[in-house]
Amino acid sequence: MKHVINIAMKSVYVLMPVTIVMAFLWAPPAELLGDYSRIIYFHVPLAWVSVLAFVVSGILSVIFLLDKKNRFSGLDGKSFNSAAIGLAFTVCTVMTGSIWAKLSWGSFWNWDPRETSIVFILLIYIAYFCLQAALAGKSSRGKIGSSYLIVAMATLPFFVFLIPRIVWSLHPETIINVNRTIYMDDQMWITLLTALISFSVLYVYLFNLMNRIMVLKHRIGEHPHAAD
Amino acid sequence: MVRDILRNLQKDFRVEFRSRFAVNIAVSFAGIVTISISLTAGGAPFPVKVQSILLWVVLFFSAMNGLAHIFVREEDQGTSLFLRITRSADSIYISKFIFNQIFMMIIGTVVTPLFVFFVGVDVIHVLHFIMSVIAGGFSIAASTTPLAAMAAKAGGKGSLFTIISFPILLPVLWISISSTAGALNEARPESGTVIFLLAFSGFITAISILLFRFIWLEN
Repeated sequence: MKHVINIAMKSVYVLMPVTIVMAFLWAPPAELLGDYSRIIYFHVPLAWVSVLAFVVSGILSVIFLLDKKNRFSGLDGKSFNSAAIGLAFTVCTVMTGSIWAKLSWGSFWNWDPRETSIVFILLIYIAYFCLQAALAGKSSRGKIGSSYLIVAMATLPFFVFLIPRIVWSLHPETIINVNRTIYMDDQMWITLLTALISFSVLYVYLFNLMNRIMVLKHRIGEHPHAAD
Repeated sequence: MVRDILRNLQKDFRVEFRSRFAVNIAVSFAGIVTISISLTAGGAPFPVKVQSILLWVVLFFSAMNGLAHIFVREEDQGTSLFLRITRSADSIYISKFIFNQIFMMIIGTVVTPLFVFFVGVDVIHVLHFIMSVIAGGFSIAASTTPLAAMAAKAGGKGSLFTIISFPILLPVLWISISSTAGALNEARPESGTVIFLLAFSGFITAISILLFRFIWLEN
């Protein structure tokens, strides 16, 4: 089973180049935006992985707090790692979104509800890392950090789903084509789905890598002279 | 449990009114900022949106000066260990929650009339304006109570409480500002904003009650 998971994770070496080739060479340009629309194959998967990483960190935090018998080790560290990946992907989402906004609306930042929401999410997770830094060396670090991540995860639906729908937005369908709907042909859909899968696998790969580094650091910490 | 909550509240109010530290700081801050705004504006009228933004900036930072104090004091004076042994986490949370709500109401009651008077705010829909201030204040106190406990556990270092509270409170501030601006406009205000604030408070309070024991208890 572990062998299969390893192969699945290593498929990222194939999937990412395939995604790049499909996004730039295979998928046709959109009617209204032309070649600028190709950024959708990076912006949407990055946003998806950001939310996925934050939800995973929240779920791991819930399990960490409920796991009184300590059956799963290092869950607080794993939720920290997932939040760190989520933060990095959110920064990339903001950057690609800003480029797209400049190309479609003429300016990098418009305080569109979705832009505002992503800034709120970014600030929440920056605050989480500030809290973790302030709690360094304290035994309660894991529990308090996990509690904050759960509060953060609970507020995510307000930012991701509620606010963009109750406040008027430039963002969603209007820029894809002249009919003002999200109409994409089959090649575009296949490319977008491939990108979503590739970025999800990339997240799993990075998450696994960070967790392994964490375990190694922990071992070195426990046995500082193990290398001798 | 009700007896424990009442005893905690009695203790908290007795300690607070012996020193009046948190209330004095928050009210003084609000007064200074409001008068500074009025003085620097020199009587020039602000647009409705700016008035509501300034009101909530004053309320938010006044609250930040005092809301964490209830937990920071327990940690500083070493009484949190005693409370952990003698009282249940739920009773501690509910008493601190009620204390912070009353504290926020005091801040709102002092700051809002002062702001209306000095900045020359023309309130058109008075009931909606009062409801917006009450609902916004309620949301701020509800959201910050568990965060205050976290900041206190981290040693209450500097502005950590403001840093961890601000992003969670942003939707509350955003909606409160738009709700207050609605009360200052001629057009009929939407009650949905007040409902959103109360719903958000209820949601955060429910999660906080579930999580508080993990924040409060050491093991």
